[in-house]
Amino acid sequence: MGGVVTGGPAMMRGSVFSTILGYLRDVLWGIRSVWGSCLTAIPYLFGSGELSKEVTEQYPDPISSKIADDLPPRSRGFLVNDIERCTGCKECERQCPVQCICVEAEPATDDTKIWVSVFDIDFSKCVFCGICAEVCQPASLKHTKNFEGAVYELPELVASFGRGWVTPEQRLKWAKLRQQIEDDRVIL
Amino acid sequence: MIESLKTDLTQWEIGPYDHSLPGPMLLRLRLDGELIVAGEVETGFLHRGLEKALERQLWRSAIPYADRLDPEGALFGELALCLAVEEIAALAVPPRAQSIRVILSELTRISAHMGYIVRVARAVGSETMVHYVLRDREKILDLFELATGARVSLNFLRFGGVQADVTEGFIERVLEICELLRIRLKEYNDLFTYNHAFIKRTRGIGTIAPELARAFGVTGPNARASGISFDVRKEHPYSGYDFLDFEVPVGRRESQHLGDANHRFLLRLQEISTSVEILKQSAEAITSGPFALRKPEESFEVPRGEAYIRIESSRGLLGCHLVSDGGAYPERIQFRPPSLALLSVLPQLVRGIRIEDLPVVLATLDIGVAEADR
Amino acid sequence: MNAQAMWLNPWISGFSFAESVPQWLLTACGLVLIYCLVIVPSGAVMGYLERKLSADFQARVGPNRAGPAGVLQPVADLLKLLQKQASRDWNWREAIWLLVHTMALYSTVAVIPLGSLLLLVDTDMSAFLPFWSALVLALGTMFLGLSQGSVPGWFGGIRVAAQALAGAFPALIALLCAGIRAGGFRWSEIAAAQSSSPLLWTAAANPFQFIAFFVFVISGLVLLGIPPMDAAFSAPDIHGGVSSHLSGRKLTVFRLGRFYGFLLWSVIAVVLFLGGWELPFGLSTELRNADSPRLLQIFELCWLLSKTFLLVLVVTWIAKVNPRSRVDQVTDFAWRVLSPFSLVALIGASLVAGWGAL
Repeated sequence: MGGVVTGGPAMMRGSVFSTILGYLRDVLWGIRSVWGSCLTAIPYLFGSGELSKEVTEQYPDPISSKIADDLPPRSRGFLVNDIERCTGCKECERQCPVQCICVEAEPATDDTKIWVSVFDIDFSKCVFCGICAEVCQPASLKHTKNFEGAVYELPELVASFGRGWVTPEQRLKWAKLRQQIEDDRVIL
Repeated sequence: MIESLKTDLTQWEIGPYDHSLPGPMLLRLRLDGELIVAGEVETGFLHRGLEKALERQLWRSAIPYADRLDPEGALFGELALCLAVEEIAALAVPPRAQSIRVILSELTRISAHMGYIVRVARAVGSETMVHYVLRDREKILDLFELATGARVSLNFLRFGGVQADVTEGFIERVLEICELLRIRLKEYNDLFTYNHAFIKRTRGIGTIAPELARAFGVTGPNARASGISFDVRKEHPYSGYDFLDFEVPVGRRESQHLGDANHRFLLRLQEISTSVEILKQSAEAITSGPFALRKPEESFEVPRGEAYIRIESSRGLLGCHLVSDGGAYPERIQFRPPSLALLSVLPQLVRGIRIEDLPVVLATLDIGVAEADR
Repeated sequence: MNAQAMWLNPWISGFSFAESVPQWLLTACGLVLIYCLVIVPSGAVMGYLERKLSADFQARVGPNRAGPAGVLQPVADLLKLLQKQASRDWNWREAIWLLVHTMALYSTVAVIPLGSLLLLVDTDMSAFLPFWSALVLALGTMFLGLSQGSVPGWFGGIRVAAQALAGAFPALIALLCAGIRAGGFRWSEIAAAQSSSPLLWTAAANPFQFIAFFVFVISGLVLLGIPPMDAAFSAPDIHGGVSSHLSGRKLTVFRLGRFYGFLLWSVIAVVLFLGGWELPFGLSTELRNADSPRLLQIFELCWLLSKTFLLVLVVTWIAKVNPRSRVDQVTDFAWRVLSPFSLVALIGASLVAGWGAL
């Protein structure tokens, strides 16, 4: 705060009077600028208008914190995959910059039905860039607006959307169905 | 006979993690009382192997990496990469996409400069200014989220345009932000810029002489504050900047202490005003049309070629040298970050200042350690 | 020293067992009571005020979860600091610092003017003791800083010493100005010289006293290292200086001392220049005539503390809004601006007082 004319007492520019005048001008400048700065804070202390209200978001108090619905529609939150529409094309796994998606898929009864046995997204690696949702052809992989996904154990961060590994009974059933389709075709 | 008092220089190491440093770096200082006699800089603590990692990514997947070159100015990294690819592959960018790119660039520049103001205010100890500026920077980040879905690492530019069209109401929000910034800049000037304590802390401190700037390759606002009139947006215009009408602020040669910390700060405030002007022009002149001329295919291959692109990021001249061998992966990307020159010139700047001026010098230089170390 | 237990009398007059208690025991209990009721809560209240006030200026909310409107935040902070594991044991230098620190604070407890009946020590030198305690506090802090084997500690210690010396001189001169008008340095004399109307406060008496008031407050900031003159304790360059190596209980003692010093200086400034505890509209004399000392003590204390709160508000306002000055700028300011102004005020105040005596 404050200070004197630059240049020490050895540099007396002009008369003593002008030095004293410069000194007093400096002090006045200090007082004026401090007062000017203080004035800008007055609306914040007393007023509560749009420009000077508190902006603290008191998460998780609902009084002023954003929930997922308040976010813009394009917000890239946690991913979800609609396994019914997923074709197992593995494009998301290929394009992911950090290789956080793991997909295993195989044809079921016929080639139009794909059984996606494993679809794991490791959110400890995901950077929420949105490329996987962008390249998804059937539009099954989407970003939700949800941002609250903290867990207590690291393995819990892996989200599994797959249907699970195919069991031997299922394989038998598929083989039978495939046989039936073949037989129907032969008959026809 | 009076014997002179035997004193020794104090050795002090600041870093790699410290309150006053802009990022992880090590400063080895030799102090004579409170005066710094010599300083050495050691960097590399934030080296992430970004350029090498990019060689293993598909072209589109490389864009989030370019985002993270300089997290404070994410769009500039993306823009450099996209412009380089567009030059090699001879892709044209439609005018609407160019306007959107300019709008997002200038918004990024404003938010990066606001982060700069926050760091300078914290270095001199004015906490009130810190919170006012952060509050306004939040509005710009909300605008990014509205347009792109993310606040900082946007991942929005694509080769030949942008990822999607801007949403309804985005342009109106941009114009609202311009109006808000006009009011807030006046408030910042009332509160902080002309405060004599701030001026005393920054006048004559850490002066970069024009010859020093030229010798070390300092570019951007730091060089312009020293009087060197060089802005890539004017010298090598890109992305439609040559159709915009704006004045680039440069430090006046007659002013005393040209190139000191105070000038660097004032210049960035003026750059915010210039960016607001550019925003208004772009927002009002934006044409309707496609936002990208090609649909991004999954297996996009850039033909063989090489390109060097220069853009004006918030810290200076950002260069991107791209080599493609015609495959699905980049062969080599090399970024020329503007902060590297500042790290080189830092030992000269800290000589002769007091230890209390060091956070001020570091903050006013706007060093980006992430982009310097890559 | 027979005024020691006098303030206690109205409160214990009803209890018969208190009559038989020896005087020294009453005095000791009184001192301990004031210590517990003054120093620790003052640290807590000042800490809470600083956080809430700075939040008000900065468009934030501030602490609001610990207790209604966050009033229990200092309790939470205190408990958190006290339960921290000590990084190392007390060495002998820190023990000496603790001794010096406590002596300085404690010595002011005896002298702090909290009301016409709450004065323990009311001698001719009463007004000077807090000033000397501030110097002793600075000495202790400097010793602590120089004893730490690290650069932040050394710099913090040296800066504390430089600032304390620079701020002491104008503070002392301004103190003399107040005493000149009152004709003495007893608290009761100074209070009597300013009656209840604001127009008769010392600061409003003549322009020289007004200058002296400003110089006194600002040089107190320099002397004690209160923001915006807290270059000795600044965080960006020296990590807090002296306190950079302190944590847990030692940090609690250190911080409590700083907060209390701020409060002490504000209370002294109010008593010397802003009318002290004299209640408005002549209430003091009324209550004295009505012989209700308990009510008198409470009202005077509240009036004094509310004026102190306003002064603290103004100082915190200036501190949060303005950047911190460099330490050489602070000492420059103290020697080249505050000291000449204080001398001018002294000469002027003496002339005015002498003129009035003619």
